[in-house]
Amino acid sequence: MRTLLSVLALSISTIISAQAAVVVIGNPAAGDLSASDAKKAFLGKGDSSVVVYELEEGNATRSEFHQAVTGKSDAQLKAFWSKQVFTGKGNPPATVPNAAAMKSAVASSPNAIGYIDEADVDATVKVILKP
Amino acid sequence: MTFKLKALSVAMSIAMISSTSQADEAADAKIAKLEQQVQALQSQQNASLADKVQFNGFISGAYISSDNDAGYNNADTSANFSEDSKLGFQGTFNITDRTQAVLQLMMRGEYDWEVEAEWAYLAHRFDNGIRVRGGKLRVPLFMYSDYLDVGYAQPFSRPPQEVYGTIPFSSYTGAGVSYDVDYDDSTLTVQAFGGESDVKNSAVKLSNLMGANVSWTDEIWTLRAVYAQAQLDGPVVNEVDVELASNVNTTAKYTVLDIDDEKGSFVGVGASYDNGEIIAITEWTRSEINEAYPDTDSGYLTLGYRIKAFTPYVTVAYMETKDNDERLPLSQAAAIQMIAFNAERMAYSLGLRWDAIDNLAVKFDITYADEFGDTSGGLTSNSLDTTTGKFTYDDTLIYTVKFDAVF
Repeated sequence: MRTLLSVLALSISTIISAQAAVVVIGNPAAGDLSASDAKKAFLGKGDSSVVVYELEEGNATRSEFHQAVTGKSDAQLKAFWSKQVFTGKGNPPATVPNAAAMKSAVASSPNAIGYIDEADVDATVKVILKP
Repeated sequence: MTFKLKALSVAMSIAMISSTSQADEAADAKIAKLEQQVQALQSQQNASLADKVQFNGFISGAYISSDNDAGYNNADTSANFSEDSKLGFQGTFNITDRTQAVLQLMMRGEYDWEVEAEWAYLAHRFDNGIRVRGGKLRVPLFMYSDYLDVGYAQPFSRPPQEVYGTIPFSSYTGAGVSYDVDYDDSTLTVQAFGGESDVKNSAVKLSNLMGANVSWTDEIWTLRAVYAQAQLDGPVVNEVDVELASNVNTTAKYTVLDIDDEKGSFVGVGASYDNGEIIAITEWTRSEINEAYPDTDSGYLTLGYRIKAFTPYVTVAYMETKDNDERLPLSQAAAIQMIAFNAERMAYSLGLRWDAIDNLAVKFDITYADEFGDTSGGLTSNSLDTTTGKFTYDDTLIYTVKFDAVF
């Protein structure tokens, strides 16, 4: 019974955290980012000095983020990057495994941007766009 | 002497053990710190190596077969596993932040898995955004030219042959320059290229190849236009089976046409739409060449609809040689030329792309081609029956099952 309850509690918390919105984060010193610049950055276009971090493939926050910002589904994004890679136009951004790693990666460089669930935001990073 | 040494070493070990146990905690802390440092250094080194060199690859495996031996996409009534099967490896070497070398090696079942460098170039991006490339590059004539072999990045089983099959070369040696203009929500790319090429498995050479294309995309709509021209030179050779005696066959080659430094030109326009659900792609091309080699118009429209991992699509495509009458000098050779070069065809495809697992798509396609008119339909195995004056086949049906993966 106890196990069942904790499973229930866990799944409820998962549902709640999944409902929180994904936000684009930058270094605490960074200025705000426009939606179109965010779209460009995460598709490897625009300002090349921006260092972009992605969550790993299969991560739900990643899918949610791309739905909102680049408008691409997981499969479309994969096809997009395979096209970019094999035409020598660019490589997909570096990936990090979770929100904690995302925060430390973004906090460590003034030009770095990434995204996490709003619930994971703390003082080490700044929300620069709420898509 | 031996004894003394042994005694010494025993004494030393005892001393070390005692000192270690005394400084146990301090050493543990030190080791932990060192381990952390090593890890940090290692990840830095890995990261910088990963920044410098990237390896990627793609693979396609296809089964194709046809209801007859007309030779559409080289399909016949027996199963063909090699025509559309291919394997590619790419190495990208970042020499500096702005300079990179790219080498893509391809092996195609169609060419007995012979290894070829499809891309081999050095690229440099200047401060002002201009990108210059030199080496072996793709001729950017069509929308899918740059990633013609990367099936995973395409919705259909194969780019429509009516359009993509009209140009018998896909890469050139030379240089290209491109420039991206970034707008708020879209990008305009202007590209110019020049060099030389040759037609695979033939003696036809292309020199003074030059052209330009312009494309605009907002990641939903893509619009593009291209113009290219070249000097063509060399013999167009056909291969035929000749029966010397009963059951004694030989292959004979004959020159259908000698192209003598003729100018050829190519224009193409294309548009595509992809909002994540609905896909629409269309291209139209016209290639022209002086004298007896045919001028060809071609085009296609593909419509698709994504339902989760499934993308069903339909394609209608056509191709037609335009100068059938002009090309007809009054000679016997002309008759052969007409037979060899006049072509018209419609093709209808019904297919499905299934994104089965991560990085791998499975595709199914049925293509029906007909309306050849008085021509072979541009199909090399469709021969003329001299007794009836008609070609053997007036339609063909091709089945394709294919997987495309990237790694």
